[in-house]
Amino acid sequence: MSALDHLPILVVLIPLLTAVICPLFQNGRTAWKLALGAAWSSFAIACMLLHQVLNSGTVRYQLGGWEPPWGIEYRIDVLGGFVLLIVTSIAALVLSYARRSVEDEIRPGRISFFYAAFLLAFSGLAGITVTGDAFNLFVFLEISSLSSYALISAGRDRRSLNAAFQYLIMGSIGATFILIGIGFLYMMTGTLNMDDLAVRLPEVADTRTVRAGFAFLTVGFGLKLALFPLHLWLPNAYAYAPSVVTAFLAATATKVAVYALLRFLLGIFGVGFSLMSMPFDMILIGLGLAGILSASLVAVFQQNVKRMLAYSSVAQIGYIALGIGLASHTGISAAVMHLFNHALMKGALFMSLGAVAYRVGAMHISDFAGLGRRMPFTMAAIAIAGLSLIGIPGTAGFISKWFLVLGTLEQGWWPLAVLILLGSFLALIYVGRILEAAYFGTPKENSAVREAPLSMLIPIWILVIANVYFGLNTELTVGLATQATTDLFEALP
Amino acid sequence: MMFNFAPVLPLLIGAFFAALTRGRVRALLMLATPVVGAVLLYTFTPGTTVPVEWMGLELTPVRVDRLSLLFGYLFHLAAFLGVIYSLHLKDTLQLVASLAYAACAVGAVFAGDLLTLFLYWEALAVTSAALVFARRSERAFAAGLRYLLIQVLSGVLLLAGAIAWAKGGHGLEFGHIGTGSIAGKLIFVAFGIKAGFPLLHNWLTDAYPEATPSGTVFLSAFTTKVAIYSLARGFGGTEMLVYIGAAMACFPIFYAVIANDLRRVLAYSLINQLGFMVVGIGIGTELAINGAVAHAFNDVLFKGLLMMSMGAVLHVTGEMRGSELGGLYKRMPKTAILCMVGAASISAFPLFNGFVSKSMIVTAVLEEGYEWVWLALLFAAAGVFHHAGIKIPFFAFFSHDSKHVKQAHEPPTNMLVAMTIAAALCIGIGCFPGTLYRLLPYPTGYSPYDSSHVLAQMQLLAFSALAFLSLKIYKIYPPELRSVNLDAEWIYRRLVPNAFRHALAAVGRVGNQVRSHSFRLVSSSILALARHHRSEGVLARSWPTGSMVLWVAVLLGTTLLLYYL
Amino acid sequence: MSDKDLKRPKSHLFDNPKNVTRVIRGLLLLCLVLVVLDAVIHRHTAHPWEKVFAFYPMYGFVACVTLVLLAKGLRKLVMRSDDYYGRFEEPPEDGPASRSDDV
Repeated sequence: MSALDHLPILVVLIPLLTAVICPLFQNGRTAWKLALGAAWSSFAIACMLLHQVLNSGTVRYQLGGWEPPWGIEYRIDVLGGFVLLIVTSIAALVLSYARRSVEDEIRPGRISFFYAAFLLAFSGLAGITVTGDAFNLFVFLEISSLSSYALISAGRDRRSLNAAFQYLIMGSIGATFILIGIGFLYMMTGTLNMDDLAVRLPEVADTRTVRAGFAFLTVGFGLKLALFPLHLWLPNAYAYAPSVVTAFLAATATKVAVYALLRFLLGIFGVGFSLMSMPFDMILIGLGLAGILSASLVAVFQQNVKRMLAYSSVAQIGYIALGIGLASHTGISAAVMHLFNHALMKGALFMSLGAVAYRVGAMHISDFAGLGRRMPFTMAAIAIAGLSLIGIPGTAGFISKWFLVLGTLEQGWWPLAVLILLGSFLALIYVGRILEAAYFGTPKENSAVREAPLSMLIPIWILVIANVYFGLNTELTVGLATQATTDLFEALP
Repeated sequence: MMFNFAPVLPLLIGAFFAALTRGRVRALLMLATPVVGAVLLYTFTPGTTVPVEWMGLELTPVRVDRLSLLFGYLFHLAAFLGVIYSLHLKDTLQLVASLAYAACAVGAVFAGDLLTLFLYWEALAVTSAALVFARRSERAFAAGLRYLLIQVLSGVLLLAGAIAWAKGGHGLEFGHIGTGSIAGKLIFVAFGIKAGFPLLHNWLTDAYPEATPSGTVFLSAFTTKVAIYSLARGFGGTEMLVYIGAAMACFPIFYAVIANDLRRVLAYSLINQLGFMVVGIGIGTELAINGAVAHAFNDVLFKGLLMMSMGAVLHVTGEMRGSELGGLYKRMPKTAILCMVGAASISAFPLFNGFVSKSMIVTAVLEEGYEWVWLALLFAAAGVFHHAGIKIPFFAFFSHDSKHVKQAHEPPTNMLVAMTIAAALCIGIGCFPGTLYRLLPYPTGYSPYDSSHVLAQMQLLAFSALAFLSLKIYKIYPPELRSVNLDAEWIYRRLVPNAFRHALAAVGRVGNQVRSHSFRLVSSSILALARHHRSEGVLARSWPTGSMVLWVAVLLGTTLLLYYL
Repeated sequence: MSDKDLKRPKSHLFDNPKNVTRVIRGLLLLCLVLVVLDAVIHRHTAHPWEKVFAFYPMYGFVACVTLVLLAKGLRKLVMRSDDYYGRFEEPPEDGPASRSDDV
């Protein structure tokens, strides 16, 4: 076996081992360099893996050489590869951007630990996307969750402790539910391998145990992905976490939870069970819609910009849930596309907010007054990513909304399409509020705010340009998303 | 990839560089742009299409055939003339907008599918509105906004129609559409707005007189001609168009007679000319379509020439109201003569270009037996001469001496050059119609110059002039008055706002109560919404962990219940 | 015409009433000739009405008179004062409208 065959484990192992090494260095700068190296090499591996998957189909890797279903199998299909690409690319970009922001927001003695926790969270998220084993997935989920509690509590604001505590409670409940769900499935089928589960489940699908397992799993994942009304932990966690953590988690954590949900819904239970015979599709549509409208409205009234965008994330998750709930090829492709596009825009937005926090220090909307002139590049980035969030044609956000609307129209549910557009309109209002303050507000006097440093601007603008690029060239996103969905649909009868 | 947008590219790049450069360099660039574009068009072979797949849609950004090529050449020619005419300008906004506007028009006529057409359609709206805004007066701003609103509405209708059309299983290809389906009707109305159908025409007479002098020259050339092209492609032979066109040819001339702003007179006469083209499209025989397209070509030249001459007057005197002008031939003789060439062309005097195309349409109408329409068109033809042919030059350059005569002078040389080229083309095509006929979509053996045609047309025109003369001598002719004439725009500028106000007032006290109640209802519901969603609202505040867990329990219970059912 | 006129400011073409009369007479003559030609030249016609003697001259004349009379009537119906739709800052009335044009 050559090193290339070990790629699936390497993508997890590199950050995991680096995380262990990081705290050995007292110097935060060294830890950062290590973390950066680990993230970029994982990104490179993710690219290779995706390439491999596209060329020669699903990549399988047996951990320790044990054959499934006894051993743990790593298994990467198009969807997994796609989400892995999102996670690693965002991690690499966020880490490239992180140095100045972390030095500013984290106490000097704890910087090495911070990067260690970051890498742990990252390796957990990456692990979820590559594993083919249900219990292993739970383990990775826990790794990422536990480390993200630590990351959130590292925030400057004392409220971050409270937020992290709440997230801990809710996250643990979610994880427990997921574990219970997996346990039920194991009870009925005697296997933890996902493919195996998928084969054996149909025989026992009508039992109460499986249905209860399904309920625990859906609610557990609903908590993890912050599905309305289980989103209440999210706004505070995002608002008070360090900027780097918010950017990373907002762009990846919920996405990976959605991936895990999709994997269970479609890869294990199958569309027929989870979205057709169970009324989960209606639940997703209802909660998704409620999330879109309610969270967008809350965002409209928010005064804290970071919280505003956190609520907007809840709304965006609503779009994704809605897409899955449509239970059609177009709807699910739209949801998968939105995973990617939302990572692009929220990554860019929260990183820009981090730049503002670095220069201005505060997040109230009035602190943005006149920043259009003081920090032109940062604000331009917010403007473009904001347009993408609204879904203006020519940006990435438009593509996924377009497919989502197409999906609703396909089913003839045009009122849904109208509500989706209403959500876009609300996004227009809250993004407009930021831009209005930035470009038309009068700046506070005697403030010596300058443009953010280049080391922050470059990663931000890479994401911003990606927002526009993927809005115009849709080959990659649309192609991958539709292929991933097709695979999911074809994998099972 | 370059080729996909190729016909648009030269003008678009020109617009881009017009924004960056200044002075002589910009002048040279802008002059070169349409020439390069036209040469590029020459290399295209009819029948080429460039399919592109985008987001699963099969698009054809570029389709070249005889019809689109003719309009392509026409728009490059118009852009060239317009650029010469605006060479003296330093206003970057106007220059960039005019080239971008021309580019969008070219893009629209080469669009092979409805989605691409829609994109250019909306881009046309935005770039052309910039030419109205560039006048930079409060009035122009208001008119520009109204204009933009209606243009965008047209685009939205087009998009809705295009989606419905594609849903109907026809694909997105832009071919013959017809008014049979709902989709067809939507697209028909969208085209109709831009083509100035009766009651949908007000954006034209409202905004064109408010644009800058050179802005109006560009405006009169592109938007409506794109609409004519689209109608010809999508709705050739739709009988309804014959009657719509006849109405368009007739009703504006009444307004043109009494309108005071001379560029508004020209705007009305533009609708009147469009009427002829629409009739031709509605008839749909090869001769009629040829006539309509040829007339569109000629209209760009002579209407451009007239707009240019009026723009020159506006540029020199700052005045466009007929009641305040007159006698300018003493100071602007060249402009006056060039204007009269345009007037003769639009009136379709033999040997001028209007004659060679208008007679095609009239002949086609008679061949197909629409005798009432034929009479209406004759009436319109006489009326054109009356208001555009006589009224425009008469009130601007002759009539009584106005106070402007003292300071007036010839316009800048570049304006005169542009007008001279346009005038030369008007006469050239009028004398050698074969050059234009060769470019038409269908082969034609038509010859406009036989004794019957020429004599009939001369009689019609001469006696129209006689009528003007006698009415003037007996002082029956309505004097030019400072005034506003109500038109269909009154509905949305006055009736609707007033009706709303009156309705509220008329109900009186009861109404007041209802109103205050409804205001209270609205504001209280907004407040309630805000109460729940603003920072400390129930949906936005930070919740205690216990209640979060409660939600989890509720949701788990509900899902379990639902799954077990 | 123009150069000479500029040197001798008062002798413009139509300042002399004789010239106006000449134009009018010219037009009358033209009309007469055209009507006579109608009788002389054999026109091939596509419609019976065209065969009526002096159809086009009559139609042109009547059409235009009707047009103007109707338009005058229309004025009673639709004419409103200049600032009917609200007052706007007028572009400068005298002198070149250079503000907008030469920015």
